[in-house]
Amino acid sequence: MNRYSDLEFLRLSKRQKFLYKLTSFFASIPRAIANFFLAIGRFFKNVGVGIGKEFADLFLTFKNGDWKTKTSYLVMGFGSIARGQVLRGLLFLLMEVVFIFYMITAGGHWMSMLPSLGKVGPHEEYDEILDLYTTTYGDNSFKILLYGVLTIFFIIAFIYTWRLNVKQNKIAEEYLKAGKRLKSGKDDLRSLVDESFYKTLLALPLTGILVFTVMPIVFMILVAFTNYDGAHNGYTNALFSWQGLANFRTLLTWSGSGVNYSATFGEILTWTLIWAFFATFTNYFLGMFVAMMINKKGIRLKKLWRTVLVMTIAIPQFISLLYVSKMFAKNGIVNEVLLNLGWIKHAIDFWGSTAHGGLLPRVMVIGINIWIGIPYLMLIATGILMNIPADLYESSRIDGANAWQQYTKITLPYMLFITGPYLLTSFTSNMNNFNVIYLLTGGAPTNAAASGAAGSVGFTDLLITWLFKITTGAEAQYYLASVVGIMVFVVVAAITLVVYNVLPSIKNEEDFQ
Amino acid sequence: MKKVLSLTLALVMIFALCVSGTASASSQLAGTYDITVWVADAIVDLTKQQIDDFNATNTDGIVFNATVEPVGESDAATQMITDVEAGGDIFCFAQDQFARLVQAGALAKLGVKAAEIVREANDAGVVAAATAGDELYAYPLTSDNGYFMYYDKSVIPEEDVGSLEKLIADCEAAGKYFAMENETSAWYIASWFFGTGCVSEWETDSDGSFISIRDTFNSPNGLIAAKGMKKLLDSKYYLSSSDGAGFDSGCAVVVTGTWAYETIAGILGDNLGAAPLPSFEVDGQEYHMGSFNGCKLMGVKPQTDAVRAAALHKLAQYLTGEEGQMERFNAVKWGPANLADQANPDVQANVALAALFQQNQYSVPQGQIHGSWWDIAKVIGTDVKEAKDEAGLQAALDNYTAAISAVFNMSDDEKNAWSVIGSICGTNWDTDFPMEEVSEGNFQSEVLELKAGDELKCRQGASWDVNFPADNVVVEEDGNYIVKLVVIDGVGEVFLIAA
Amino acid sequence: MNETLEKRSMGLRASRAISNTIIYILLVLISVIWLIPFVCIVLQSFRVESTHMARYIIPHEWGWDNYVKLWNSDFKRWYLNTFVIALVVAVLQTVIVLCMSYTLSRFRFKMRDGLMRFMLILGLFPGMLTMIILYRVLKDLGLTQANAVPGLILVYIASSGMGYYVSKGFFDTLPKSLDEAARVDGATRAQVLTKIILPLAKPIVIYTILTAFMGPWGDFVFAKYVSFGTSAGMNVAVGMYGWLQLDQIGQRYTMFCAGGVIVAIPVTILFMCLQKYYVEGVTGGAVKG
Repeated sequence: MNRYSDLEFLRLSKRQKFLYKLTSFFASIPRAIANFFLAIGRFFKNVGVGIGKEFADLFLTFKNGDWKTKTSYLVMGFGSIARGQVLRGLLFLLMEVVFIFYMITAGGHWMSMLPSLGKVGPHEEYDEILDLYTTTYGDNSFKILLYGVLTIFFIIAFIYTWRLNVKQNKIAEEYLKAGKRLKSGKDDLRSLVDESFYKTLLALPLTGILVFTVMPIVFMILVAFTNYDGAHNGYTNALFSWQGLANFRTLLTWSGSGVNYSATFGEILTWTLIWAFFATFTNYFLGMFVAMMINKKGIRLKKLWRTVLVMTIAIPQFISLLYVSKMFAKNGIVNEVLLNLGWIKHAIDFWGSTAHGGLLPRVMVIGINIWIGIPYLMLIATGILMNIPADLYESSRIDGANAWQQYTKITLPYMLFITGPYLLTSFTSNMNNFNVIYLLTGGAPTNAAASGAAGSVGFTDLLITWLFKITTGAEAQYYLASVVGIMVFVVVAAITLVVYNVLPSIKNEEDFQ
Repeated sequence: MKKVLSLTLALVMIFALCVSGTASASSQLAGTYDITVWVADAIVDLTKQQIDDFNATNTDGIVFNATVEPVGESDAATQMITDVEAGGDIFCFAQDQFARLVQAGALAKLGVKAAEIVREANDAGVVAAATAGDELYAYPLTSDNGYFMYYDKSVIPEEDVGSLEKLIADCEAAGKYFAMENETSAWYIASWFFGTGCVSEWETDSDGSFISIRDTFNSPNGLIAAKGMKKLLDSKYYLSSSDGAGFDSGCAVVVTGTWAYETIAGILGDNLGAAPLPSFEVDGQEYHMGSFNGCKLMGVKPQTDAVRAAALHKLAQYLTGEEGQMERFNAVKWGPANLADQANPDVQANVALAALFQQNQYSVPQGQIHGSWWDIAKVIGTDVKEAKDEAGLQAALDNYTAAISAVFNMSDDEKNAWSVIGSICGTNWDTDFPMEEVSEGNFQSEVLELKAGDELKCRQGASWDVNFPADNVVVEEDGNYIVKLVVIDGVGEVFLIAA
Repeated sequence: MNETLEKRSMGLRASRAISNTIIYILLVLISVIWLIPFVCIVLQSFRVESTHMARYIIPHEWGWDNYVKLWNSDFKRWYLNTFVIALVVAVLQTVIVLCMSYTLSRFRFKMRDGLMRFMLILGLFPGMLTMIILYRVLKDLGLTQANAVPGLILVYIASSGMGYYVSKGFFDTLPKSLDEAARVDGATRAQVLTKIILPLAKPIVIYTILTAFMGPWGDFVFAKYVSFGTSAGMNVAVGMYGWLQLDQIGQRYTMFCAGGVIVAIPVTILFMCLQKYYVEGVTGGAVKG
């Protein structure tokens, strides 16, 4: 496509400008994808170079450092204490003591078990006098993996702290050489509420995220390389063990009789994307529409309308959705009313119809999702609409614009620009929208073509509900769920990152302040 | 006076000694135990009462401090499989979960004598349902987990209940629904196939793993069953549901079980009818619909402490004994598995149970069925509904067979892989330790900690088709070993190498 | 001249009246559709003659029976559990979210962009899978079954830092010049936050409290893992979901509806009172969403 300079761009007609913007948006997507992979490449390159530099620096610091620095390589914090930075030094030392203590008492044990995930399984014995069997349990693969991961986290944290400790020595030496005063413990503490205040603020949230989000994700990713399932639960029946890439091969290539995981995966992924698209945009536009109606000048009882819509938020979904699902049953109230009105001759099987690839139930879940989503969108849109400067509308009216033109020229662009990131996050959260599907249909109706040994798959099943079925299904195949989870993650992450980098309001983050 | 007093004292002391002496001899089980019991919501209060009775009447001095939690039967199994350790010490479940629970190591085997008592007192179907391999793993709770037909007498004439075609016609004429859960539950779908003499029999070994299957759903008779099913599914007044409350929402016939009795009785009152399932007609021949004859079981979680385990088994025996089952029938109308209870006139007079017992002539004991079967077989319902002609019905059955055989299929890698198995590392010929191929025909295990007297073999594909050596390798000395296998021209030799 | 103007304005008025009428009709229609399930659930909860799910809406016999039954069941315990969880989570989660979002909005440090991108990506991993492992961690800490309440609180707040988007967006709209002026006057960063920014952030604080308070009421998947069959540790969602089991629903359905009504009460009241702030907060936030 042609690229226009700013001046050329200004000369274009409105239609041309719009077309130009549109094409340049789509044209930028491949570039964004390419950039994404380049960025990954750069990242690894940087990491490689960075590690090399670190080692060089470690070596030089040791070579050029004084005896205090050299001792710090073994006794962490020694240099800091010797130079009067007692608080820092003690913290370093504490870290080292805790680390060594942990590795001796527990960490070493878990690390040594990690390669095998345990050797001794449970064992049963008959007691003749009491006429019963007792069980002796052996190793626990699950715990070994869990604490193994935790120990690795701790080792990484320790190495990082150790590196920091060495760096501190180098900085201190340079400071002293330049005749500057070193920071005292008091300075450090003061800085934590001032220029380093962000460290204080982030400490707690990030620790929480590390332990309760990152660590479980790492664990689950590792599970994809084991055979952890109902028959190998790691403790009470049989241990599980490392399987390499076998599970990925199963999902991607195995098309044994009756079960074709890759086709099933593809089919569910397609529907998940369709669902996420419609669920996001129907809510978005209809929510905006409702908000505009309520906000229109001259409409009374604004608060009442809003409150009515908001009431639906207050009832938990597991109650309201279950009820709605029963309303649309074949013998439910909706069919009854339609039959009595004479609009239909026979009850419609809203949830069970498998015609056209389950079209009807699919449309139904999207429709009912509107019912759930509009109140939220209405609230968001209400606020944003009130923020659009009124003189924009005023001047456009003087120019003779009608309501539709005002909408497409002012309201919509403003909304889209401002809520771009919101749209993105709601798209991804819709992809993982468990509640709506699980409570409304539970994935039904059964999709005969896509069902197999890993739990039955329905036409309305999203990847996330399929995951749930796999883990709670007959064979509790956690390893398979984990493989699917990784795939879902790769797809969603790729979409998100590409869109994220293209979005105008992210690029211009500083413009708003 | 003094004499009398001292004499009495002495007598009292002797008596006390005797009593305490006998008590301590008869029971090393005496003591207080904190336990958790999971039962269905309906029998929580009853079970509390029964445990109190047990505490008061048992002669062993056992006192249970029990927390009774309402955990439904299907939920209990799922929870136990998720985490056996945290589960209830005693829990109830429906029999379709049995194999999974055995496999998960969530059920303690019954002792030899205890098993004998259970086998004698209860009906054979229930005993089979609680058996894996040759061992009994659970106590029978009920024998009523089957289905039959409830109908609304004001819509369905008495003389029509035996015929599916007439029932459908009556429903269509009245604008009422015929409810049977054919699209979401294999349990009900099987009814049609059992009616034409098809079988799906699975066999487990004592770990709850499935070793063989005999399945004839995909056969000429299976096709007849599918045709019968198609008749119902094609009706505009067919509904895929097993909810008894459906009688309040336009249903005239609901195929469901005894658990729905109270709800339906509340709605229909005197119009409640219960009958065995009807017959359907294909090509001029009548087939009486079959059913699963299932049961509910009570399991004891494996314990590490023998004394505690013994006490728990005593309680489970008490709760599922003749008296315990009868109490449950009286309180909540659950049909007993105990033979003596089944002969009780009150039990025989119950309308719902009567229909169930009549249906039982045509039913198949549920036995052990692979967990995946329920997912695979339920697709038949949807497939049959979509089928346009006979070829479509046949395709539904072909799909089914393909999915079933996949359950037993292994990838080539898995079939060719070698492993070590034996009475090693605390396992008892039930766990395969993988071997790695270090070079063509050379396989090695990881370092294993072996004890003198341990026996082992190497086998291929986790089956006994190919295994070496012919006689078990016996370990002579405690130590860490690598098991090495060399296969040349189809003949393998096994070595133990100290590590 | 005058006449034509009048005509035009009359025409305008007429067309406006027509469009307003259409809007009113639409709004009434929407309100009815949105209220039907709500009203049905309320009506079912007052049904006395039967306890199962029924197709008719208006009860034949009215009464408080279901609410009395609720009072006599474990529901009280579940409700209290959930209320405590919601309250504590509302407070702690708000603190954490504010820390996180304020920092990411106001500070420019080395790892900032990387951190934001990292969290964006983390949030995309299907959480369903990590439940089993979170359950095990809580179990090892002794925070499951009867102790599920602190366990759930811990997990809810631990990962709440990830949900900083909306409130960061709000902070972005507050002018930076405010901070700088205060800094010139010698205030530390901490003082800027507590003295200058927080008073201005009332809408977003209330928004965050409101959303955090609502979350725990509907969790029936993870909370089920954590309470693990122990009634004393259940929240309302898990407890009531148990009533939907095959063998219970016939006897419990109207009770289930009554429970739903009771659960909706606190959230509805809060929403009615704080709707204004919610809109302000989410608006400011969605600007940078």
